[in-house]
Amino acid sequence: MKLTEQQLSELAAELDQVKAGVMSQLGDKEARYIRRMLLTQRLSAISGRVLMVLGFITPWLWVLGVALLALAKILDNMEIGHNVLHGQYDWMNDPVLHSQRFEWDIACDAGSWKRTHNFEHHTYTNIIGKDRDFGYGLLRLSNDFRWRLRNLWQFVTYLVLSTLFQWGVSYHELAGERVFFGKKKPDRVNSVSHTDLKKAFFGKGARQLFKDYVFFPLIAGPMWLWVLTGNLLANIIRNLWTSTVIFCGHFTADVHTFTQQQCEGESRGHWYYRQILGSSNFTGPRWFHILTGHLSCQIEHHLFPDMPALHYLTVAPQVQAIAKKYGIAYNSGSFLRQYATVVARIIRYSFPGGRATTV
Amino acid sequence: MFLMSDLKNRKVVFYLFLVYNCALKLSGRTSVNKTISLWGQSLYRQFSLMLANQPKLGYYLHPLLNWNKPALHPDYHSARVVDFCWETEQMLSVWLEPASSWAGFTPGQHLLVTMLHKGRYISRSFSISSSSALFAQQKQIRISCRIQPQGEFTKALAADISKLTHLSISDAMGDFVLATTADTALEKSIVMVAAGSGITPLWSMLSSLRCWTSPVVLFYCVKNTAQAAFLTELKLLAAKQPLFELQLIETAAAGRLNLVQHLKAKAGFSLTKSLYYFCGPAAMSRQYKDDLIQQGVSSTAIHAELFGLAVTAAEGPVKQALFMQQGKVTTVEAAAGVPLLQAAEHQGLTPRFGCRIGVCYQCVCQKKSGQVLNLRTGQISGDGPEQIQLCISAAHSNLQIEL
Repeated sequence: MKLTEQQLSELAAELDQVKAGVMSQLGDKEARYIRRMLLTQRLSAISGRVLMVLGFITPWLWVLGVALLALAKILDNMEIGHNVLHGQYDWMNDPVLHSQRFEWDIACDAGSWKRTHNFEHHTYTNIIGKDRDFGYGLLRLSNDFRWRLRNLWQFVTYLVLSTLFQWGVSYHELAGERVFFGKKKPDRVNSVSHTDLKKAFFGKGARQLFKDYVFFPLIAGPMWLWVLTGNLLANIIRNLWTSTVIFCGHFTADVHTFTQQQCEGESRGHWYYRQILGSSNFTGPRWFHILTGHLSCQIEHHLFPDMPALHYLTVAPQVQAIAKKYGIAYNSGSFLRQYATVVARIIRYSFPGGRATTV
Repeated sequence: MFLMSDLKNRKVVFYLFLVYNCALKLSGRTSVNKTISLWGQSLYRQFSLMLANQPKLGYYLHPLLNWNKPALHPDYHSARVVDFCWETEQMLSVWLEPASSWAGFTPGQHLLVTMLHKGRYISRSFSISSSSALFAQQKQIRISCRIQPQGEFTKALAADISKLTHLSISDAMGDFVLATTADTALEKSIVMVAAGSGITPLWSMLSSLRCWTSPVVLFYCVKNTAQAAFLTELKLLAAKQPLFELQLIETAAAGRLNLVQHLKAKAGFSLTKSLYYFCGPAAMSRQYKDDLIQQGVSSTAIHAELFGLAVTAAEGPVKQALFMQQGKVTTVEAAAGVPLLQAAEHQGLTPRFGCRIGVCYQCVCQKKSGQVLNLRTGQISGDGPEQIQLCISAAHSNLQIEL
């Protein structure tokens, strides 16, 4: 169903109102919440690293240590890092929680992330040719893309990408700018020089590798191999988790795409409309939402990327009601159901044909 | 491959650093010690970035070590709120006990006070109004602030003060202090002018003075006596100390003080043989300074502390925004309702930007002073330093912005 400009502007007004209702109330509650997250993250990171070394008492301590470190990395990346980098907590004026200063425990440099994710992905969500997050230039996820031979084994590509997800994210901007391979696309205006991109990529990557695979194993002495393996496992668990959450938010069966013509000079209402159709939610218990960094409410996140994420759950019913009122599909389901459709989508478009998902 | 060479480089650099360090320790040259300290700092920074992704480990540990002290800003010192009282109807005094990490102050200096209000750190600078003796004996300082009805900070402070337990304070700053005894030995007299709450640093100086060597005259300009803070103490000092003279000027009745005329009328007083200390609105200090310089007073004898009264919106719709970028200052004419980002670009500046609709936070930068209007929410900001999104902020007063 196509909405008129009049309807779109009404939609924008209603969603703006939902947002204003939350943003005007921000205060102690949100500040306490995110500080508690920081505390939990620090405690699990430090205790995880210590317990891994204590694995010589019983390997179960090592297992617990790996789990805690993975938890710390997931909290740091999802509920803290991703949300802080969106500027959700800038109003607190706290240097530890400010989007301009925040850096996270992942291979990707925060500055690069803010350019590719906050700007490119959140501004041009699911516009074919503009939002490279749709398939990451590796996967064919709709018939908007021409079929190539390499798409035949794209399920394996997907598994590899998931396992090494942090490196995919970190290389994402360099791939787009064709820093190492390929011809530069004429329509891309880069705000950062290739030298700076390389410096950030290698600098951040090297620091992360040095920390997990040199520094901590070294100070663990005889337990070095346990610590090194534990760190590797924790990183992989985090990679798989973040990748799965993100895929379930964007590549489920009913997620729509858009053409560049549709979005030229679009209104704020159309931007909102596109965000609802370009994302999908999944359900689960409260702790589950926290582990996803509230990206389980991907639709609300895309509508209000700078709203403190703990509020996505509270505004979700209002957003769903508004979507229903305007006849916009609100894509939500259980985690397993959504993930099944992601897998089906990756496999379906491994082969030629299929339908285009542009609206 | 890259990583290997990087590590090797780092190792080599580290050993070079050690050798260099030893050699310089032996030669004992200070300029090189500075180099070492710079190297040390950059090494520490790299280490901290590697380990904790923070420029200093303190930022990483802050949420852990101070989990029960949310009011403590990671950049500042903690200060316990000991007591408070109302000096006048509008002036609130707060006694603070700074943590042992705080280095102390020279009377006349100010500091940045930060409080946590509704989950948000807000800051404002205040002069210390207590004597150095109070700090020496009881480890306490006092700040006295005039509550501004439009001001974000002072209003929040007045509202929260009864339940506040801690504030964060910066090191004491500023060179608005009494000249050292070497200068005053020339038997120069001292002239002080305080306007309203401008009394705070001057009262700190006066109450800290232990041995009086030269005459001091204080012109204390207030609207009326009810608004004069520390009046009892000042009168007491004037009665006790023959070298101190208090001149209370009630501007509501007597009009503005004509300083030069007043001083010329004083018997045996030489304008050029005096030191001057002004604390009050910028316009007042500038006026007196100009008058005195015209009378042949050297500008080095005049010290002034300007304090930011609540910013009043500049007349007319067009405001001036000073953009500072690595020391270069550009003046941008910012019309009301026009995003600052657009205004800056019109002037040829290239601030970092992204979505231009307030979504992506690429254009966030530090506003040093002035008020902005948030074009999306219609909210008007405070006038202190804070981060703003250029693409959805318009000038509400004259501004200073750091790119």
